[in-house]
Amino acid sequence: MSQVNYLNHDKSIKSWLFTLDHKRIGIMYLVAVSLSFLAGGILALLVRTELLGPGETIMSADTYNQSFTLHAVLMIFAFIIPAIPAVMGNFVLPIQLGAKDVAFPRINLASFYIYLAGAAIALTALVVGRVDGGWTFYTPYSTSVDDGILFITAGVFVMGFSSILTGLNFIVTIHKMRAPGLTWNRLPLFIWSIYATSIVQVLATPVIGITMVLLFLERLLGIGIFDPALGGDPVLFQHFFWFYSHPAVYIMILPAFGIISDLMGTFSRQQVSGYKFVALSSVAIAFLGFLVWGHHMFVSGQSALSSIIFSLITYLIGIPTGVKVINWVQTMYKGSVWLQTPMLYALMFLFTFSIGGFTGIMLGVLAVDVHLHDTYFVVAHFHYVMMGGNVIAALGGLHYWWPKMTGKMFNETLGRIAAALVFIGFNVTFFPQFILGTRGMPRRYYDYLPEFTNLHVLSSVGSYILGVGLFLILGYLLHSLFRGKKAGSNPWGALTLEWTHTTTPPDPHNFHETPIVTRGPYDYHLAPELFGGDGAAGDGHEEEAEVTVPRGQATS
Amino acid sequence: MASTAEHPVHLQHHFVSSDQQFDASKMGMWLFLITEILLFSGMFVTYTVYRVWYPEVFDGMAVLLDWRLGGLNTLVLLASSFTVALGIHYAQVDNKKGLVTNLILTFLFACVFLVVKYFEYSAKIEHGIVLGDGFAPHGVSHGVDYATYDVMFAQQFFSIYYVMTGIHGFHVLVGMGLFAWITIRAMKGHFTSAYYTPVELCGLYWHLVDIIWIFLFPLLYLI
Amino acid sequence: MSHAEHHITPIKTLVQVIVALFALTILTVATSRLDLGAFDVLVALAIALTKGALVVSVFMALKYDNKVNAVVFGIGALFVIVFLAFTLFDTAFRGDLSNTTEGTIMEQKAAEEALQQREPDPAALQFNRSNE
Ligand code: HEM
Ligand SMILES: [Cu+2]
Repeated sequence: MSQVNYLNHDKSIKSWLFTLDHKRIGIMYLVAVSLSFLAGGILALLVRTELLGPGETIMSADTYNQSFTLHAVLMIFAFIIPAIPAVMGNFVLPIQLGAKDVAFPRINLASFYIYLAGAAIALTALVVGRVDGGWTFYTPYSTSVDDGILFITAGVFVMGFSSILTGLNFIVTIHKMRAPGLTWNRLPLFIWSIYATSIVQVLATPVIGITMVLLFLERLLGIGIFDPALGGDPVLFQHFFWFYSHPAVYIMILPAFGIISDLMGTFSRQQVSGYKFVALSSVAIAFLGFLVWGHHMFVSGQSALSSIIFSLITYLIGIPTGVKVINWVQTMYKGSVWLQTPMLYALMFLFTFSIGGFTGIMLGVLAVDVHLHDTYFVVAHFHYVMMGGNVIAALGGLHYWWPKMTGKMFNETLGRIAAALVFIGFNVTFFPQFILGTRGMPRRYYDYLPEFTNLHVLSSVGSYILGVGLFLILGYLLHSLFRGKKAGSNPWGALTLEWTHTTTPPDPHNFHETPIVTRGPYDYHLAPELFGGDGAAGDGHEEEAEVTVPRGQATS
Repeated sequence: MASTAEHPVHLQHHFVSSDQQFDASKMGMWLFLITEILLFSGMFVTYTVYRVWYPEVFDGMAVLLDWRLGGLNTLVLLASSFTVALGIHYAQVDNKKGLVTNLILTFLFACVFLVVKYFEYSAKIEHGIVLGDGFAPHGVSHGVDYATYDVMFAQQFFSIYYVMTGIHGFHVLVGMGLFAWITIRAMKGHFTSAYYTPVELCGLYWHLVDIIWIFLFPLLYLI
Repeated sequence: MSHAEHHITPIKTLVQVIVALFALTILTVATSRLDLGAFDVLVALAIALTKGALVVSVFMALKYDNKVNAVVFGIGALFVIVFLAFTLFDTAFRGDLSNTTEGTIMEQKAAEEALQQREPDPAALQFNRSNE
């Protein structure tokens, strides 16, 4: 009989639906979030197929508008915002802290159901009306189209609550539930970045809440705050929207940074270079991220004064971001880099995220943005950071923690093939969009000039390759659940607590005994004797660990 | 610290000690409170933006709000904050009677607040000052000719007024629910000086509702 | 960080605070009846801030509480200010580009028209694109 773990200690449906176990809640989030990703992804493929040629290809203009709107709403609010924090944060964070659970397990479960309710409300829009106007809901268009918007706004409002509760829970957990010896300087960088993310979630999300309330009332009653026909100011809506939504892009990318930091340290067998800088730059980005929202509004008619201020601070964001990228590269230098699938995603991230970040700086330049705003260049920029940043990192994290979550290893060969497909597909999809944008192809258009056809076709073909890659991942991960090799407790030879101090899959209570932490998360130079399973290392699950020490020798 | 000899009933399994649990709950509550503050900040920003744009209109419209009723409600809410603080004091010194009395008083003050608010709203609505499309001030009362207030951007002032006080009122309502719940628990003797976290947390929430009103009152009624 | 004893605020302090709060309420109403011009807003805000500070520090006992909670509260307040200030950078300065006034737009138009007058007839230029 296999050892008792969080998956097999009680198999009833009820024990899942009412579970307070952060690990099970994480898994439920994983399923829900993946379904959103699937739905959003299918819509994306439909949109790309429509764009194979100018004019009507497979759907009417109205269906097209609805498709890209729903694609974006699903991807942003139902997938990418909760993806890393609610899935991997939930599963990993308490264990990395050496805690038995998050501080408020009941609130954690509630946040999951609130998320589901919000998604359901948003999708009701499809039944009662149309969804239109993009994910940005700019007034006055959004308040003049039909009633679908009421449900979307209500859904976003409700999902916001879920996001707030997750963030709140994590902040308190990180402050109050760390194992003895786990000082702030010893926190895995994943924790640091989730911490920064949570701060943003708590501070920014309420503002999208009130924005949605006002938008809702504007549409329902006509209160004249945002609607220019009634004396309101549509640009004020944009301020409200971006006060949340720019920080929200950091809700998406900061956790990705965390995963990449952990992967870099673990798979290079080396202390992450500039640990303190990498940790604090997350907090700096979280803070600066609140001061740049107006870079989405350069051509909205906002004052020149604010455009200049926002542009300037936008450049500043490049500094902490650069600090991170440079340190990741530095981490690999003279390390023994182990190119397993998760690390492939980390390397991919360096490439794609950097392109996304650089083009972001380009868009932050006032004069350049006048030309590029609302073109495919912006579409390419944000897909490079969201897909090429967040999703790639999330895939890396999923592969990294998959053995811990399921107790099974995936097929490494297929993993690498899929990673290659994702990389090629992604770049072929989105790189042409930079070129389209600079040549003047506006975003969100159903039709286009014939001279854009080649690049559009290229982009669509790329999206199919990407789709194949993603389905392949889904396939072999599901397959591994049934046929996968049994995973050892520490297959990657990592040093954080979820690998060194608990079984695979983890015990229902994570630890039998609260771990006592005596070293940093990437102190590989201290690792050899700790791997041996002496008293300090804890509860005797280390037998398998030795097998997994990398092919490359441990560095000194 | 891993194993405490006594294990109080209220201590959840994933906490090491009552202190840790109390600290965590309290910090969680403070975080929740700042989300509330940021939620309201949206309304304060809207108010400021429109006030900066149309100062005369905002000056003029404040006249239609009765500062006596607003002032009365301010005193009522302040008093309720005081009774909550007293309640917590009594909980800390194990005075159950003092705790229950003050919780009930708080609940009653909240009722008074909403009743006053109800009269204010209905007086406005009667004269066509409503939220949204139907906005059309008319009629005369207390020597005020409402029709003269039907000017450009008057609607913005009252939209802001209704949304702000409406959301605030909703919070008062939620607070009443919370106080009803903890009053019952207090009567059943659930709280002692060793464990009164729910009272403390509801109290924090209630004080915040009070603070919001402390700002709403002068901004809307006085200046 | 464990402190076995929770701080107990004496009733006397609570009474002092509520008396102060009542007094400040009366004060703010009284000052608003006077005509202080632009200072109206400042005085009202200053009084409201004082009242808020009293409630937060004594009633909510932030003064005696774990520092971390004060930091949390401070950050919340800070971001309200950020939200307000950065929005006002726009709304209070709308249309600050000197070339967007009605006069300058007309001038620009006139200049453009003058240029157009000088522009040769496109047909006369006869770019030959037929070999594409
Ligand atoms: C180096 C940091 C970054 C800079 C300087 C930057 C800058 C910008 C600018 C100036 C725009 C506005 C373009 C326009 O509409 O004309 C923009 C759009 C956008 N950015 Fe970034 N960005 C950065 C990182 C990110 C990250 C990390 C994400 C998400 C994970 C992101 C997501 C977006 C999205 C979604 C939009 C488009 C929103 C829309 O209009 O639909 N950006 N970015
Ligand atoms: Cu942005």
